[in-house]
Amino acid sequence: MKQPKSYFRGNLEVERSEEFLKLLKREFPEIDPEHLPPVSRRRFVQLLGASASLAAATGCRWEDEKILTFNSQPENRIPGVPQRFATTLEIAGVAAPLLVTSYDGRPIKVDGNPDHPLVNGTADVFAQASILGLYDPDRSQVVVERSGSNSANTTFDAFVAALRQKLTALRQSGGAGLAILTEETSSDSVARLKARIATELPKAMVVAYEPVNDDDEREGSRIAFGKPMRALYDLAADVVVTLDADLLGAHPMMHAHARSFASRRNPDAGSLNRLYAIESNHSTTGAMADHRLALRPSLVAAFVQSLAARLGVPGMAASKALDEQPRAKAFVEAVAKDLLSHKGRGVVAPGRTLPPAVAAHVHRINAFLENASKTVKYVALRDAPGHAAGLRDLVAAMNSGAVRTLLVLGGNPVYTAPADLAFADAMKKVETTVHLGLYADETAAVSTWHVPQAHYLEAWNDARAYDGTPTLAQPLIAPLYGGKTALELLSFVLGDEGVSDFEVLRATFKAQSQSGADALAFESAWRHAVHDGFVKGTSAATEIPALAANLPALPTDATSGAEFPANGQFEITFVPCTKLFDGRFANNGWLQELPDFMTKTTWDNAALIAPGTAKKLGLVNGQMVKLSWKGRELEMAAYLLPGHAHGCVTVALGYGRDHAGVVGGSLEGDVEPVGFNTYALRPSDAMSGGGGLTVDVLRKHYEFAMVQDHHMIDTTGKEGRQERLGALVREADVAEYAANPDIVHEHDHVTPLSLWKTFEYEGLRWGMAIDLSKCTGCNACVMACQSENNLPIVGKEMVRKNREMHWIRIDRYFSAEDIHDDDDVQVVSQPLPCQQCENAPCEQVCPVGATMHSSEGLNDMVYNRCVGTRYCSNNCPYKVRRFNYFNYHEDLKDSANEALKMAFNPEVTVRARGVMEKCTYCVQRIQNTRITAKNQKRPIKDGEIVTACQQTCPAQAITFGDLNDQNSMVSKEHASKRSYSLLSELNSRPRTAYLARIRNPNPELVAKA
Amino acid sequence: MTSSTTTQSVLDQPPLVQGGLDFAGVTQTVIGVVESKETPKIWFALFGVSVILLLMLLGMIGHLIWTGVGVWGNNVPVAWGWPIVNFVFWVGIGHAGTLISAILFLFRQGWRTGINRFAEAMTIFAVICAGLFPGIHIGRVWLAYWLFPIPNQMEMWPQFRSPLLWDVFAVSTYFTVSAMFWYLGLVPDIATIRDRATTPIRKLIYGLLALGWRGSARQWHRYERAYLILAALSTPLVLSVHSVVSFDFAVSQIPGWHTTIFPPYFVAGAIFSGFAMVVTLAVPARALFNMKNLITDRHLESMNKVILATGMMVGYAYSIEFFIAWYSGNALERFTFINRAFGWYAWAYWIMVSCNVLAPQVFWFKKMRTSVPVMMVVAILVNVGMWFERFVIVITSLSRDYLPSSWGYFSPTGVDIAMFVGSFGLFFTLFLLFLRFLPMVAVAEVKNVMDQAHPSHH
Repeated sequence: MKQPKSYFRGNLEVERSEEFLKLLKREFPEIDPEHLPPVSRRRFVQLLGASASLAAATGCRWEDEKILTFNSQPENRIPGVPQRFATTLEIAGVAAPLLVTSYDGRPIKVDGNPDHPLVNGTADVFAQASILGLYDPDRSQVVVERSGSNSANTTFDAFVAALRQKLTALRQSGGAGLAILTEETSSDSVARLKARIATELPKAMVVAYEPVNDDDEREGSRIAFGKPMRALYDLAADVVVTLDADLLGAHPMMHAHARSFASRRNPDAGSLNRLYAIESNHSTTGAMADHRLALRPSLVAAFVQSLAARLGVPGMAASKALDEQPRAKAFVEAVAKDLLSHKGRGVVAPGRTLPPAVAAHVHRINAFLENASKTVKYVALRDAPGHAAGLRDLVAAMNSGAVRTLLVLGGNPVYTAPADLAFADAMKKVETTVHLGLYADETAAVSTWHVPQAHYLEAWNDARAYDGTPTLAQPLIAPLYGGKTALELLSFVLGDEGVSDFEVLRATFKAQSQSGADALAFESAWRHAVHDGFVKGTSAATEIPALAANLPALPTDATSGAEFPANGQFEITFVPCTKLFDGRFANNGWLQELPDFMTKTTWDNAALIAPGTAKKLGLVNGQMVKLSWKGRELEMAAYLLPGHAHGCVTVALGYGRDHAGVVGGSLEGDVEPVGFNTYALRPSDAMSGGGGLTVDVLRKHYEFAMVQDHHMIDTTGKEGRQERLGALVREADVAEYAANPDIVHEHDHVTPLSLWKTFEYEGLRWGMAIDLSKCTGCNACVMACQSENNLPIVGKEMVRKNREMHWIRIDRYFSAEDIHDDDDVQVVSQPLPCQQCENAPCEQVCPVGATMHSSEGLNDMVYNRCVGTRYCSNNCPYKVRRFNYFNYHEDLKDSANEALKMAFNPEVTVRARGVMEKCTYCVQRIQNTRITAKNQKRPIKDGEIVTACQQTCPAQAITFGDLNDQNSMVSKEHASKRSYSLLSELNSRPRTAYLARIRNPNPELVAKA
Repeated sequence: MTSSTTTQSVLDQPPLVQGGLDFAGVTQTVIGVVESKETPKIWFALFGVSVILLLMLLGMIGHLIWTGVGVWGNNVPVAWGWPIVNFVFWVGIGHAGTLISAILFLFRQGWRTGINRFAEAMTIFAVICAGLFPGIHIGRVWLAYWLFPIPNQMEMWPQFRSPLLWDVFAVSTYFTVSAMFWYLGLVPDIATIRDRATTPIRKLIYGLLALGWRGSARQWHRYERAYLILAALSTPLVLSVHSVVSFDFAVSQIPGWHTTIFPPYFVAGAIFSGFAMVVTLAVPARALFNMKNLITDRHLESMNKVILATGMMVGYAYSIEFFIAWYSGNALERFTFINRAFGWYAWAYWIMVSCNVLAPQVFWFKKMRTSVPVMMVVAILVNVGMWFERFVIVITSLSRDYLPSSWGYFSPTGVDIAMFVGSFGLFFTLFLLFLRFLPMVAVAEVKNVMDQAHPSHH
């Protein structure tokens, strides 16, 4: 018989070129190009006719889009008026209570839940950037079945049918051969379902694994108290000592910490507290500290021992390791005195990377200082095996063949699992592996089934905040790509086929609720909880755990105290990335392009090394190094971080992914991985890091994409920078400030002259104040602005060319960059939005009048009028203007990126190519509030308008309001003695005032220095 | 001929027309080039290269407009890069022509006649090159007309406080007046070509261009009045155009830009670079078309003297900038200049100083300023140096301004380089066409300064 003729649509298809297959996959993910059936001539003609008539009828392929009016208007819904819903984002088992803004059913902005006491309306960068993740076109959109090297797109029903068979058999054998791997979660619903699995399928293995986990922290509290506890710190305490703990930065309680810390940093309102940071990496907390001591991790342990001894904790003797470290010894002395004189009003906080025994000793120090229950509170944690141990057992079972069906519900263990476990190889030995994930990632690539996961904004969930209070998550939108949740799949495993996450959640809530059989009371409680995002009035049950009688000794005497240990004796620390966390956000462009606060690098991680150590190694910034540790090697670029401890290297996790997507790196999409995969070095027995690292300097250089110090700076530049720093970021010691409140203005040279008659503001006059004493540099404001104002991302190459588009940036300066005194490096930061100058240099030079002053003092940017001479940017002394050198929204033309359009804020123009843009003080928010106030026939209240950066600032360092109102918050801040204008000598008269940073050094340490 | 020798001995200057040429000889020397059927082969070679470069420029402009100004190396803080450097460079070159024609005319400098036509043509082509860059350098080229005060229904109006707008008027006025001046001077010579034309096409084209010139006494009278008025009009423009260009920088407040010395400094620099360019072009052109009797060594020497004088002025400006940076006590200003000499772009600064200040010093020696190879080398070095001067002013000042957090290094892209090289293509295409089809020396004016034009000498 004759073969039926096959017809084709173009050359690309005949050749079945890579390019065509890629195109097809992006355009029609539901069609698997490998399995396109051959088309017969008859069928072709049929389709041809049908297509022609369909084309005539509709003209586009979105014919199934239905736009219908509401049959009955939903309550409280006015088209075009945004609605806000409370929900929760859970990362590594910690819930962040959120409030999400939704425009006509499409979420566009994530903020913190203002009612929740832990966050007070602020959200970290991960939560804020998650909105882009929701609309990421690279998210997996279809169920994939894979056998061997073949993979085929299929449907969820096909998956259900296939798994149903397996499960029936498994259930009969009590779950033998079944293993379930979940992410760490504090969800009560997941816990409930897992408990059911334990009884109904007793032989099944259920394991939770999280690459960034609190194993050591739990173990530390187990040693100290006999049970896992979590410490909660009150940073409003008088003396705060952090030990490799980034309480103000990479910590789940960052918001609460920043807020309480900031409450003690206003010299005009009470005494300042004092922060000591003892750390190996140079963290955000270190940047905020009044005194900072750089010590490599093993010496931090020695420091704890010496501190305990100096405080008088019984049975402790000072560590000999610190003998060669005079500065550390002076620190022990000063810190101990300070702590002893503030008993019950101090905090000593151990970091997550400290060995458990050290953490236990810190718990004892807090108890000894009577801080426990006052400034340090403890909440109980669910007892669970360690993540590394659990995963190790699971891999052993997989390798032995005991596991025949593995469900990976969320997470990406192939990428994040410790290198020694070879998780991918183990997975290949399991007959059926199911991966539920947001992306077709590294794990999906070796699973027999991949099921798209629902984004948290598409799902119901519950989780507990860091302090243990329960929160609820509700979906903001129906799953865009038919994603499923872990709750649904767990229910399915239990035989509750078709049970939705909503039903699971309600059942959990019912089981917990006090309402009993009263349906009405339950409904009311449920609705309130969903509305609020948490159960109001609940607070964590804190307790004062009893300390174990004997703690293991800290054998730190043997630790080398040499200032520069020999190469090969270096230490390595793995930390979560401040932008990508454990790598899960690798495909999020907003986060990739967010500059790290300390390094100012975007789109990369780096091996952080102290300049002094680097000099000994003959290493310069950006040079490639080979890290060899425990038999594994990794080549990565080195970044010389002033203030980093000597003899150790800090590396961030989360980079170097090859199945992340077109943003974060993808083998299929020919996109180079972004950064270096440090998981390749990380073993299961030392997930925080350890000693014995060798650093080999390679003869290769790497160009970071930085938003500050874009290029290596020469001596002339360094001198010029240090010379003017004091005038730009003003600071004073608390004693100096008390003696001379005008100290901030000592070098002012302001002559308020104007060629033109000054405009009289009769009504409103907007202004902003930023308190440098409070700003921690957490980047939340940068991300808030990105999301609120539709800022484009420009990519690594463009950042290298200094073309980043952030409207607010955080300038970070080191007080000293000399290699020899990098221990003493202090850091100042300065968030810099448009200063909205009264006498704006940009306005005077624009030839077309595209940037004009408003009657309320705003420096408005008229995008329509801008022709792009860029003269305004040249003349702006603050360089806050950003130019669209290209059409940065070109990718939206690709039909595959249709979903991305939904992430835009409809109230803010998306800027065209060739147009200048800059911070507007969130003019759209000003206008909205004005309309509301006008409708209600009342003046705008102080504090009613909140800019995006201000709203999300956890430290409340930003104030905005009417300067004409003498009683407004911002007027009071402007009137402060600490208030100064940046570059005031230029007579540009900025409306954004800075409040000088006041430090509170310990006189004893200052005298010694 | 006794009087002639007397003049020479008193002023110690050779005559402006040499080789014993009479009026007919002058006409034949200049107009003969236009009429000749023999085009030098080297002309074709140069023209070919120029047209290729011009096409490259046009291609790059297309690429630029299609893709966006990001194809250049510009960034923030250096939002103005090579296009503005090139703009100021070309405007500067466009200075010598009008200066020679107008100011030297008013000062009755007879030697200007040998080179003025040529220099004016150079001016016009240089201003065309200059005008190109600000036009295409804006982000939305298709809206460039918004820079002009065109009444419209939206009542949009330019913002007259912006120096950029002053620039638009200064350069367009300068171009208009220079073009008129040049063309007016051309009319009698074009009429000569028309009168000597042997083919109808030539007769027609040059006839149209000659605007009915008959050479009557009345026409000569009107012509000379008009020429004088245009010279008087052009004279302030010579000073104003580059002063206004300097306002782009001086009026803004970037350290290194915000300097009151800029207007005279820019004008001196412009004359400097303009004369250097005239020398660069005149030497090969007179050799190519056999004009040594009209563009004599004396002309070249005079120009070299101007180069030496203006070079000293430029050098003075460089040093006074440093002095003021120190004397003002302004730390930012001081840093800017230390940074120029020792920072990221120190190499550019020292190229500028060596080419602009050191190189012309050889002209103190008569032997040097009359040596053709030496003057060619110096003139080209001055051209290079003056481009770097603009590079130093525009780029180094922007790359490190007030806030160190925003400092950034600028590197040009291939498109930057291609467009700069391409602008030479545009310039030389026009210039070579001019050399071939229009009289490169002002015949009527040269005759005016010949001894034969002054019967009293006989």
